[in-house]
Amino acid sequence: MQASSGMLTKFESKSSRAKGIAFHPKRPWILVALHSSTIQLWDYRMGTLIDRFEEHDGPVRGVDFHKTQPLFVSGGDDYKIKVWSYQTRRCLFTLNGHLDYIRTVFFHHELPWIVSASDDQTIRIWNWQNRSLLCTMTGHNHYAMCAQFHPKEDLVVSASLDQSVRVWDISGLRKKHSAPTSMTFEDQVARTNANQTDMFGNTDAVVKFVLEGHDRGVNWVAFHPTMPLIVSAGDDRLVKLWRMSDTKAWEVDTCRGHFMNANGCLFHPHQDLILSAGEDKTIRVWDLNKRTAVNSFKRENDRFWVIAAHPEINLFAAGHDNGVMVFKLERERPASTVYQNQLFYITKEKHVRSYDFQKNAESPTLLSLKKLGSPWTPPRTLSYNPAERSVLVTTPADGGSYELINLPRDGSGAIEPTESKRGQGNSAVFVARNRFAVLNTATQTIDIKDLTNNTTRSFKPPLGTSDIYFGSTGSLLIITPTAVHLYDIQQKKSTAELTVNGVKYVVWSNDGLYAALLSKHNVTIVTKTLEQVSTLHETIRIKSATWDDAGVLLYSTLNHIKYTLLNGDNGIVRTLDQTVYLVRVKGRNVYCLDRSAKPKVLHIDPTEYRFKLALVKRNYEEMLNIIQTSSLVGQSIISYLQKKGYPEIALQFVQDPTTRFELAIECGNLEVAVEMAKQLDRPKLWSRLSTEALAHGNHSVVEMAYQKLKHFDKLSFLYLTTGDNAKLARMAKIAEHRGDFTSRFQNALYLGDVEDRIQMFKEIDLYPMAYLTAKTHGLEEECQSILEATGLTEEQLNLPQLGEPLTPPKPVVPTFQANWPTKATSQSIFEKALLGQVEGLSLEDEPSTTTNGFGLDEAGEDDGAKRTGALADADDDEDAAGWDLGDDIIPEVEEGFVNVESVDASGGGISEADLWARNSPLAVDHVAGGSFETAMQLLNRQVGAVNFTPLKPRFLEVYQASKTYLAASVGLPPLVNYVRRTVEESDLRKVLPIIPRDLEYLAANDLQRGYDSMKTNKLEEGLKIFKDILHSVLVNAVGSESEAAEAKKLITSASEYSVAMAIELGRRQLGKQEDINKNPQLLKRSLELSGYFTIPKIEVPHRQLALHSAMTLAHRTKNYNSALGFANRILANGGASKILENARKIKAQCERNPHDAVEIEFDQFAEFEICAASHTPIYSGAAFEECAFDGSKYQPKFKGSICAVCEVCEVGKHGSGLKLFA
Amino acid sequence: MDPYSAEGELINIHNFFHQGQFQEVIDFDTSTLSAENALPARVLQLRARLALGQADDVLADVQGETEPELEAVGALAEHALGNTDAAVKTVEKLAQESPDNAAVQTLGGTVLQAAGKSEEALALLSQHTGNLEAIALIVQIHLQQNRTDLAVKEVTAARRWAQDSLLVNLAESWVGLRLGGDKYQQAFYVFEELAQAPATSSVRTLVSQAVAELHLGRTEEAQAALEQAIKKEPGFSEAIANLLVLNVITGKDTAELTSSLETVDPQHPLLADLAEKSALFDKSANRYKLKLGA
Repeated sequence: MQASSGMLTKFESKSSRAKGIAFHPKRPWILVALHSSTIQLWDYRMGTLIDRFEEHDGPVRGVDFHKTQPLFVSGGDDYKIKVWSYQTRRCLFTLNGHLDYIRTVFFHHELPWIVSASDDQTIRIWNWQNRSLLCTMTGHNHYAMCAQFHPKEDLVVSASLDQSVRVWDISGLRKKHSAPTSMTFEDQVARTNANQTDMFGNTDAVVKFVLEGHDRGVNWVAFHPTMPLIVSAGDDRLVKLWRMSDTKAWEVDTCRGHFMNANGCLFHPHQDLILSAGEDKTIRVWDLNKRTAVNSFKRENDRFWVIAAHPEINLFAAGHDNGVMVFKLERERPASTVYQNQLFYITKEKHVRSYDFQKNAESPTLLSLKKLGSPWTPPRTLSYNPAERSVLVTTPADGGSYELINLPRDGSGAIEPTESKRGQGNSAVFVARNRFAVLNTATQTIDIKDLTNNTTRSFKPPLGTSDIYFGSTGSLLIITPTAVHLYDIQQKKSTAELTVNGVKYVVWSNDGLYAALLSKHNVTIVTKTLEQVSTLHETIRIKSATWDDAGVLLYSTLNHIKYTLLNGDNGIVRTLDQTVYLVRVKGRNVYCLDRSAKPKVLHIDPTEYRFKLALVKRNYEEMLNIIQTSSLVGQSIISYLQKKGYPEIALQFVQDPTTRFELAIECGNLEVAVEMAKQLDRPKLWSRLSTEALAHGNHSVVEMAYQKLKHFDKLSFLYLTTGDNAKLARMAKIAEHRGDFTSRFQNALYLGDVEDRIQMFKEIDLYPMAYLTAKTHGLEEECQSILEATGLTEEQLNLPQLGEPLTPPKPVVPTFQANWPTKATSQSIFEKALLGQVEGLSLEDEPSTTTNGFGLDEAGEDDGAKRTGALADADDDEDAAGWDLGDDIIPEVEEGFVNVESVDASGGGISEADLWARNSPLAVDHVAGGSFETAMQLLNRQVGAVNFTPLKPRFLEVYQASKTYLAASVGLPPLVNYVRRTVEESDLRKVLPIIPRDLEYLAANDLQRGYDSMKTNKLEEGLKIFKDILHSVLVNAVGSESEAAEAKKLITSASEYSVAMAIELGRRQLGKQEDINKNPQLLKRSLELSGYFTIPKIEVPHRQLALHSAMTLAHRTKNYNSALGFANRILANGGASKILENARKIKAQCERNPHDAVEIEFDQFAEFEICAASHTPIYSGAAFEECAFDGSKYQPKFKGSICAVCEVCEVGKHGSGLKLFA
Repeated sequence: MDPYSAEGELINIHNFFHQGQFQEVIDFDTSTLSAENALPARVLQLRARLALGQADDVLADVQGETEPELEAVGALAEHALGNTDAAVKTVEKLAQESPDNAAVQTLGGTVLQAAGKSEEALALLSQHTGNLEAIALIVQIHLQQNRTDLAVKEVTAARRWAQDSLLVNLAESWVGLRLGGDKYQQAFYVFEELAQAPATSSVRTLVSQAVAELHLGRTEEAQAALEQAIKKEPGFSEAIANLLVLNVITGKDTAELTSSLETVDPQHPLLADLAEKSALFDKSANRYKLKLGA
């Protein structure tokens, strides 16, 4: 037996003795039944107690989760079985019936049944849906300690202190309770009363086997999930394995090892292992096939009482004296290594395989490592040496060992390793092309070995070294529990040291400049000289990491893939359903290995971290690109940008006006701020805006803000400082109208308008002031009139010393005409580009929007400003009527803006139909849009179409199909809407109209009708149909190149049929057969035409018809040679037997006399085609003209005429070719 | 309280009207209504009768009435009878006198727009204060002018204060049918909800549903809905027109439907448009003929 190595404990809880455990089948939950009467619900992944259920009186021994429902069941020493809902967190009901302690309870896997085992020596089956007792199984004559359903069959197995294990057949019970026949109430009563046997002597549950072999009481028993095996554990300290067949059951073997009572046992759900737990404080693992001990784990003080397995995942739980522990038997991390585009990894079968990232292909098994280490211990690490194509594998088995093996060139050869070198060691990594390092933790030495496994040098690493990793060439990263050392192998000394606790893995970036040190809850990024770059903490366990090519670290936790940039910014990339080990990131693909060591590709959206990375690196092009191609919005990115000091970039993503305003102020983008302030129109914002604008020297914005705020004084002062005397004058008038004398005085003062000041003083009866003012300015006349008005004389006045008259400075520069030139504020290159870009984008989204783009808005604003200016000018003339009341200013301004908008509105937009013609180079889309003129031009250019009259029905059809009529408001004509063939599309630059009778429809309907008319000899009709097909294809659109090719085929086919039918119709028009027979000229022509009818490339069955008709005619007119030729062709074609038979007959007849009575121009051995207009042969090599659309051939003399087939195009005119696909 | 709000007295009759259930509007019991709502209710009933083609009766009914509401109804009736000039004159007068009157706005707006005076109609309608009918009309006018952007703006604004109103839903769906993409499906849901509930179903909504389906490319469902509509009301021109379009799309013969549309509504835009395009075709085609001849 192997020494007990450290257990892979995932979770431990402290509590009183745990007697019952159950795993939730899906969630990371475990139920623990405690001796203290509590049932705990733990999340073992997070290590948190989710809930406690305390209704049992006394110890609880049995618990079980329902497989699908949010239910669990428990049984305890209060003789009660309780069924609980963990959603509503309460006990739903109690099943009473047992007369003593209940030991175990289990749900049935599909039926609504519970099986319970009790010290009352019975095993009972309950229905938890109707809450009834179905069956009581008696037979044990001591406590029944455990009873479980078989996972598939109708069996129950039970263990008892009577030293026996019993297998019960419950198929009778199932039959009885799933019988669909309705029973009368009496029947039901009779059934339930006759608990054991019914009238046929069947019983609900009968003992099938009694397994005897334990010398003491049996504590636990379990079925194997798939094989007919049973395992039991007893007080005789033995674990016994039993096998059963349909008829009997027998003991297979015994596993000896526990030296105290064995309390629990189970089969490993996936592997051939048995696990058992006992009061000797050990958990033991046994090989199912050899019944030998594989492993054992000992606890110091706690006796084990129960053990349980997770049904899916490689997890087990054991309950002991002081709680529960959840553990794994083996590490699930598959050993793997990445070299360039290849991943090498070791599967669960211990096969080395590779995976190609570029081809996304798994290789066959390259190597089998079956013989390495113990069969139950998977290899721990894999290191690859590309130069030698060899791998270095370590395994913890046998106290740690390594093996150096060469990989075969390909997977086709033998997979057993041919030659391997091995040795003792806990870690082994390649450090150079021909050197590897081996760490032995027990002796604390590191050996550097060459490829022949000879030690070349050896040294003592820092104390407590637990692991080694590749450092960079010639150096190692040495991991101790508290630090990482960069160790130079040549100098044999540590060149750098970094204190990091508990590092478990090291992941180097692709360029080798950075490494990520992973510990259980931390990621530390270091440079190659071991300087710490950043570190982050995760509450959930970190499993693996890998570097993006751009230097972003992606790491996986138990349930997420996350990223971190070098600066420590991190976030979630996606969630995971199951734990995976990342090995590589490429674009949107994350490659990883799952727990069963299968390579998987996960798709991620790298936008967020790429954007952040671009931001950090100031890679504006990349950012632009991301903004353009991805939808990058959301609060997180905005607050991120704001936090990182990029308000101007954040601005581009914000919609909310308030936030936009704040951001705009923050980054000094006044235009946006103004726009938002207008939208929100709150005094507070205007005053903030005015302050900001003043700081910028942008006085026109300040002016607007003051106007909005009705800050008359400030306005006046602003006009004074900008030297805008005209507006100052108007302010004075406004003040006059408002009756605000202080303001009026102030304005007059600013303007140097003495008269007005005097006038004002007079108005408010301040004559002394008026007089003084006049006097100071030397206005003697005015002085006199004031004196007169007041009835005083100059002598009566006692004047103070007069000062100099005040003359306000005159404006030197008309500042008001333009804003002060300001340095472009915080606009970075990027921002400008972005502005342009964003504008472009928004225009793309709503091409007809007039107010969204910044540029446009600016224009609107200017307009508005001008307009207000204009309004103000007009006001002057009308005694400033508009400025009568200060309040009016605002409505005026607003109206200005409103006007701007309604001017826009009056224009009327472009209808979608007009857009179609713009969006598409196809004639059909122009037709649908009603632009017949351009459609005709297109067709003329493409195929030389000149005679459009035959196309009229098709034009109108296409035009009509694309418009629907929606009755909207009552009393108004319906709204016309435009039907699109691009239903999903809403970008107006890409929408295209629906096309009636598209290619598919034509092929499925019209073409078939054409064939039918050929078959049924309705040629006039057929000709019409095929011409219509030609016209319909001419004005049509297809979705792909291949469909365009299909269309070409359809055109050719329709054209050939048209020619063929026209020839035959021409023949029929020659006259009645009798008349023709009399006229040798006509007869010759008739025979020729019947021959030509067989030339066009129509479908074989149809050609047979043509040939048959030609053959019959020729035969009848004694043109045996021609008839023979037709007959031979018919026979060569094969097909319908009736025609073949006729041909055979005629052939036989004609062969006797192969001569033609009438000489005709039809050489059956020459290659020729038929002129579609004159129906005469055009021999190969002869000159000809053709129709650019349908490809029908013509004698050269027909050049310039209208094609007889399509009746649209000009013969011999070469166009650019019909375009059906853009 | 707003009589059209969810608790208002007029909500039902108002909704009946806009769902196209005109007979229900006429049959609506108005005797229990409070005094101030009697007139709006009467206007709605008159409009319903107009919609059912009883223009003469309606005109006689409002003859000599002086309330601007009823005068506006009169104008609408005049228009329906073809006396567009008189109708426009009346509306212009009313617009001068009582531009704040909601009925004057909506009915006047309808008359002006129908007479091709979109600018005047918009000017009148834009004076509304929370009149949803006016908003719906504005939206329709914008759409007719192919100013989808403005229509979107109007609807979004209305959405803010009249969340669940029928008219806003309808107007949004109208806009949706122009925008396309996902909006088709949303519009379809609105129409379908109205058309499929027996309490709100009408030929108008049924046809609207069919139109949405048509845009979504579901021709079979559209056909079923249209045939159902025609069965309900054989003379509903929009149903015929759209069925005609549908048949063109699915490649069926349309001669019969064209002739029945010609009898039902010879002025239908589809026919007018087709005639115009037919002439355009001949004109354009002739140019090539001339070239060919030369």
